[in-house]
Amino acid sequence: MCCNKHTKKGCFSSFHLRITKKLFFNRLILSIISGSASSFSEASYKPSFLPDEELKHLVLKAADGFLFVVGCDRGKIVFVSESVTKILNYSRTELIGQSLFDYIHPKDMGKVKEQLSASELHPRERLIDAKTGLQVQADLPIGASRLCSGARRSFFCRMKYNKIPVKVEEKETQANTSKKKESQKYCTVHCTGYMRSWPTSQMGAEGEGEADKQDSSYFSCLVAVGRIHSHSAAQVNGEVRVRPTEFVTRYAMDGKFTFVDQRATTILGYLPQELLGTSCYEYFHQDDLLHLADRHRKVLRSREKIETNCYKFKTKYGSFVTLQSQWFSFVNPWNKEVEYIVSTNTVISYDNSRTGRSGHKSEQSGNSKASEDCKKSLPVLPGISSASGTMIYAGSIGTQIANELLDFNKLNSSPSSPFSLAQDKSPQTLHQITNSVPNGETSDMEIPGKSSSEGEPQGASFSGGDSLMGENSQLDLDSVVGASLNSLSNDEAAMAVIMSLLETDTNLGEAVDFEEMHWSL
Amino acid sequence: MFLSWLGNALGSWPKRLGGKASLALATPATRSRISGRRRRRKAARRRRRVESDVFGDLSRLLPLQASVRAHLDKPSIIRLTLSFIRMQALLRAGEGRLFESETEEIAPLDETKMYLKILEGFLMVLSTTGDMIFLSDNVSKYMGLSQTELMGHNIFEYTHPCDHEEIRHNLRLTAELGCSQKRDFVMRIKSALTHRGRVGNLKSTTWKVLHCQGRVKLCVASSSVSCLLLTCRPLPLSHTLLSTHTFTSQHGMDMRFTYCDQRVTSLLGYRPEELLGRSIYDLCHTLDTSCLNKNHLNLCLKSQSVSGQYRMLVRSGGYVWQEKQKKTLKVPNLFKLIFF
Repeated sequence: MCCNKHTKKGCFSSFHLRITKKLFFNRLILSIISGSASSFSEASYKPSFLPDEELKHLVLKAADGFLFVVGCDRGKIVFVSESVTKILNYSRTELIGQSLFDYIHPKDMGKVKEQLSASELHPRERLIDAKTGLQVQADLPIGASRLCSGARRSFFCRMKYNKIPVKVEEKETQANTSKKKESQKYCTVHCTGYMRSWPTSQMGAEGEGEADKQDSSYFSCLVAVGRIHSHSAAQVNGEVRVRPTEFVTRYAMDGKFTFVDQRATTILGYLPQELLGTSCYEYFHQDDLLHLADRHRKVLRSREKIETNCYKFKTKYGSFVTLQSQWFSFVNPWNKEVEYIVSTNTVISYDNSRTGRSGHKSEQSGNSKASEDCKKSLPVLPGISSASGTMIYAGSIGTQIANELLDFNKLNSSPSSPFSLAQDKSPQTLHQITNSVPNGETSDMEIPGKSSSEGEPQGASFSGGDSLMGENSQLDLDSVVGASLNSLSNDEAAMAVIMSLLETDTNLGEAVDFEEMHWSL
Repeated sequence: MFLSWLGNALGSWPKRLGGKASLALATPATRSRISGRRRRRKAARRRRRVESDVFGDLSRLLPLQASVRAHLDKPSIIRLTLSFIRMQALLRAGEGRLFESETEEIAPLDETKMYLKILEGFLMVLSTTGDMIFLSDNVSKYMGLSQTELMGHNIFEYTHPCDHEEIRHNLRLTAELGCSQKRDFVMRIKSALTHRGRVGNLKSTTWKVLHCQGRVKLCVASSSVSCLLLTCRPLPLSHTLLSTHTFTSQHGMDMRFTYCDQRVTSLLGYRPEELLGRSIYDLCHTLDTSCLNKNHLNLCLKSQSVSGQYRMLVRSGGYVWQEKQKKTLKVPNLFKLIFF
């Protein structure tokens, strides 16, 4: 008893006395708690179905928390239950008597102080009634030894936990202190409880310890239960898997990015803000536009997760990464509208040139096969050459698909809306042009490739390619157009060039009246 | 023939006359019949008495107060005995005593009561078939029905039919030999409490929304392999909380903000006007949409809900964690969000 772990000084009688006082003080507090706790139960002895210990054990297992009592003025931990060992890995003896603030994350100290300090018995406590949102004047009744609803506290804070599990029998001071220094990990604890206060007169002369000099007439403390809350959604299976590199993105209905995970930056090179607002179709490889548009359509119509095949996504530096995604559309349960599409994208390989690591285990065997599939998927479409895919108008694909859905929902008609002609990658605008031009020229106009103005627009920078083509004036058409002109005849090529020029110059959306365009060719 | 009729008539008299006197008046035939009947009656009475005695002994073994015991009928005694046995089996088959009981400064019962008071709920142990094996004492405070009335009954008798599927789903997951997985769901249960908190008639029960959280406990004995330990707390209809890290908002049923109080500015950075008309799904982190979605559905179906934590986008970028308590009013929703 001479040498206490709290001091290295050794035996001093005054110190000894202080410790005794402290212990006595603690015991007094606890007896008060116990006394009022039993006021909850019936006055007479009631046999319970379970032995008390077992019941306590069950409640702890179910609630997964620990009980603690802290004094309000200095945050001294007066009591903590033994279940804290399981949760924070500190033993009771380590914690009792310490200040709570030693164990709280520095950034949360202000908040916890506020929660504790608002125990002043002044009416200016800012309590609100959640039903009305109005302030409630709830005074803590003087001498309240019963828990009243006005005294409830609930907050989250980060608490330190010991990485190394502490054995209960261990009482060496050195080991404990060194462990404390090592552990700087925090976990989030949800604390709920009540403020309680007792007049110090109840506690007798011993109560005038160091702890409650400030509050001369009342001793207040917080009696609370701390529980750890896990943040992430529960994983279904607990098996350890090497997770593939993946990131999450969110699209609006028309394919525009509304959220991009930070991990995307290391993979794609773009910062999230560079992607937001732009349409995903601008980054998809032209070979993949078809099947991705098809998936897009599917996901808007169904509530299940839709898997895409592997596709290539253009990075900031011009190269492509191969991704595979899982899309599902999130529908607002109340008005049944699609709010957005969530896409979980898994990286299959990093660069086309190198067969990089494919993180996904199950993909490894199928990887080579998958890449073969990607290469094979060059669909031959009627009326469009194989090298097609208008990157300039890529942005409008998403909008088209979204509009299809809206129209479908509005009209509630047959699945084929006027706009669903595009099984192709071609922009709707061009198709409309071909349709509405006076008949004589149709055959000439129907360019197998409006394809012509495509190719790999490697160097082009795209704006938020929407139906307003006017913004695309910055595009370098030559580089865009030049690539695949060879595949076409001269007439067709010329036509294609003129068409593309016209489209970039004029404001082409669905609303344009094509009748007024007189093209003399 | 007349004689036989007379004999019968006379034979019936003894019943009216009663007692042994009847025997003296009866014919030998009826005498044997009467005595046989009496014997059978006596035997039946004896059997019933023995049965009552046995049930009485059984009820005295149960850890119940005398006043409670007196009101128990035989099915209830059996029900409670079964509960008792199952709980013993559950505890015995468990991990045993994990911790040595140190010199307790607080009696375990007091500590338990403190827990339950703070958590504002009661403890429920559910078998995989849905039997409420055990309920803590304070269930009467929340449901109006006492522990002895409820224990041993099946939970499906007391919960809303629309929630049965969800409960069954949770129980099915329990039955699979899994690790100690956590459970968290909301269900509606019958409550015999009136609005003022008095115990009303069992027939006029209202629905109370309970938030159940807990985990699985393995018990390799009796009929179920594992049980579900739950703390059930009714979602409070009104809160009084310290307002520093809280703000209230109202939403339409599709979760778009229709009103938001001023405190949101200091907490999230948005002005209330900026939020009006925006859906809460716009502002939450993508990975938390499932959590919010479940919450939204619970709200629509069960009229009250509490979400776990989820992340909300702050105006200046970055996310903060929130928890939400919801309650529907007739047209709009009322939310209270607690921050940390």
